[in-house]
Amino acid sequence: MWKYLLEKEFKQFFRDPGLPRMALMFPVLMMLVFPFAVSMEIRNINLAVVDGSRSLESSRLIEECISSGYFRLVEVCDSPEEAMRLMDDNDADAIITIGPDFAADVATGAGFPVGIKVNTVNGTRGSIGAQYLQACIRMYLQERNAGAAGMDSGTGMAASAAPVIDVSEKYYFNAYLDYKLFMIPALIVIGITMITAFLPALNIVSEKETGTIEQINVTPVSKTAFIICKMIPYWAISFFVLTACLLIAWAVFGYTCRGNLLWLYLYTTLDIIVMAGLGLLISNYSSNAQQAMFVIWFFAVIFMLMSGIFTPIASMPDWAQAITYFNPMRYYADAMRAVYLKGSSPLEIWYDAAGLAAIGIAMVSWAIASYRKSSD
Amino acid sequence: MEENVIHIRNLTKKFGDFTAVDHISFDVRRGEIFGFLGANGAGKTTAMRILCGLSRPTEGEGTVAGYDICSEQEKIKRNIGYMSQKFSLYPDLTVRENIRLFGGIYGLKDRQIREKTDAVLDVLGMQSERDQFAGALPLGWKQKLAFSIAMVHDPGIIFLDEPTGGVDPETRRRFWEMIYDAAERRVTVFVTTHYMDEAEYCDRVSVMVDGRIAALDSPDRLKSEFHAGNMDEVFGIIAGRAGREE
Repeated sequence: MWKYLLEKEFKQFFRDPGLPRMALMFPVLMMLVFPFAVSMEIRNINLAVVDGSRSLESSRLIEECISSGYFRLVEVCDSPEEAMRLMDDNDADAIITIGPDFAADVATGAGFPVGIKVNTVNGTRGSIGAQYLQACIRMYLQERNAGAAGMDSGTGMAASAAPVIDVSEKYYFNAYLDYKLFMIPALIVIGITMITAFLPALNIVSEKETGTIEQINVTPVSKTAFIICKMIPYWAISFFVLTACLLIAWAVFGYTCRGNLLWLYLYTTLDIIVMAGLGLLISNYSSNAQQAMFVIWFFAVIFMLMSGIFTPIASMPDWAQAITYFNPMRYYADAMRAVYLKGSSPLEIWYDAAGLAAIGIAMVSWAIASYRKSSD
Repeated sequence: MEENVIHIRNLTKKFGDFTAVDHISFDVRRGEIFGFLGANGAGKTTAMRILCGLSRPTEGEGTVAGYDICSEQEKIKRNIGYMSQKFSLYPDLTVRENIRLFGGIYGLKDRQIREKTDAVLDVLGMQSERDQFAGALPLGWKQKLAFSIAMVHDPGIIFLDEPTGGVDPETRRRFWEMIYDAAERRVTVFVTTHYMDEAEYCDRVSVMVDGRIAALDSPDRLKSEFHAGNMDEVFGIIAGRAGREE
């Protein structure tokens, strides 16, 4: 009986006009397009300058900011009002205002008349932009003091008298803070979750819509056999997608998994069980594809936003953190990143396996119980 | 006296306050063509789903093919065939693959499936269409194929839920020839229909009104009882008493 049901599912999959192509396109898109699109690195901040000083010193400061590579000089304005208008029109993200007495004040050490205004409509972009600008100003001052110290050791006294704390940073696991490397395991997580939750749900609902499920229900096919035969093709597709993604990440970006590949597949298997269970569960409660699509979409958004893929879970409020414990994607994403980036093994991340297994058992048993052959 | 293969007593199905099937009782003999008539909403689909093991009765008892309708649903399923008004084959599988799938589900071996496939294709005259997708066949052919597939495991009873909906009279007549062939092979045929000319072909018919069986007899006796010229008039008289809205 199993043989014939599986044969049917695979034949239907490969005959579908869209599904096989989608299975091929998905890993390619995920690995070649999305890593660039979801990058959180802030670049190309549009900077407007109000230079009241128009001196050599002020142009050196501006030069320092532009040469950092993070800013794009939009315009050097004559008045603060003109700069604000640029910001209002969304042409400038940040404004640096240099006072008319800048050169003189810096030379005498009387002050540092520089103001920063940042557009924080996008909070992250704004606050990171402000940090970059401050860093640029610090660099400018350091260089200037170093130059001044060389010329005149007298003015350098105050600086050298202060204790100097040198903070040096060392980054582990992703030494160049490469956001693409950080996102690649997470994108695999999202892709596999989509495939394994969407496709089986729509599959069952389409059998409901054509009435073929009724025909299966009057046969001696057991609930378990029918559900498992539905799941197996999606296991196969997910492993194909996972393998293709890893190969593309290696061939195109030169990224390799630091941990044992076996663990990636193990955690993927656990996630697939959870997601296939969820997909079937949803399809059991939906009578048409539209309903099923909407419910899955609803879950997919919650899963992604509360998984720690885009924002760290540790910085969520306590109640939100509590919700993430019920989110299978939280465990799967954490495990995939740990294995891929850090080389962890299940010994270190056993809790991810436990979380997935617990949710998976609940989902699958519920799915099987709710797929009632004998409805009321 | 022929044995009864379907034996139903006081069968009742309630959905909340609504009584879809209200204490019906009847017997169907082996090899009989039993017509199950009723307006939409009269409860005939609900009753049929219980007989096929798809639904459990709220009250009452009965057996189908010798198995209890409450506790032995899986055994019933193995011994009946079912074809519904919705064309229920897989449109993206070929004719041959559909036969193979359902043969396999009912536990036939590969060799048996091959023999069965050839036999079915010969009878239907569909050898040249065997590798066509079932979804691409004309409706009349689909129905005949669906009927043959419902019979693939040689069940003792076959349930047909409005099997000839939407086809021309000629195609319906040929479909009924298949039903007669099955009945000659001692297969019990339990059929619901909208077409009153088809009711004339049945050995006995029951007419359901408001969840109850309002009449049950052979078409000839029903016609004389209600002084009607044909089954259409009989049905009009009986169904006209319905109190329940559709």
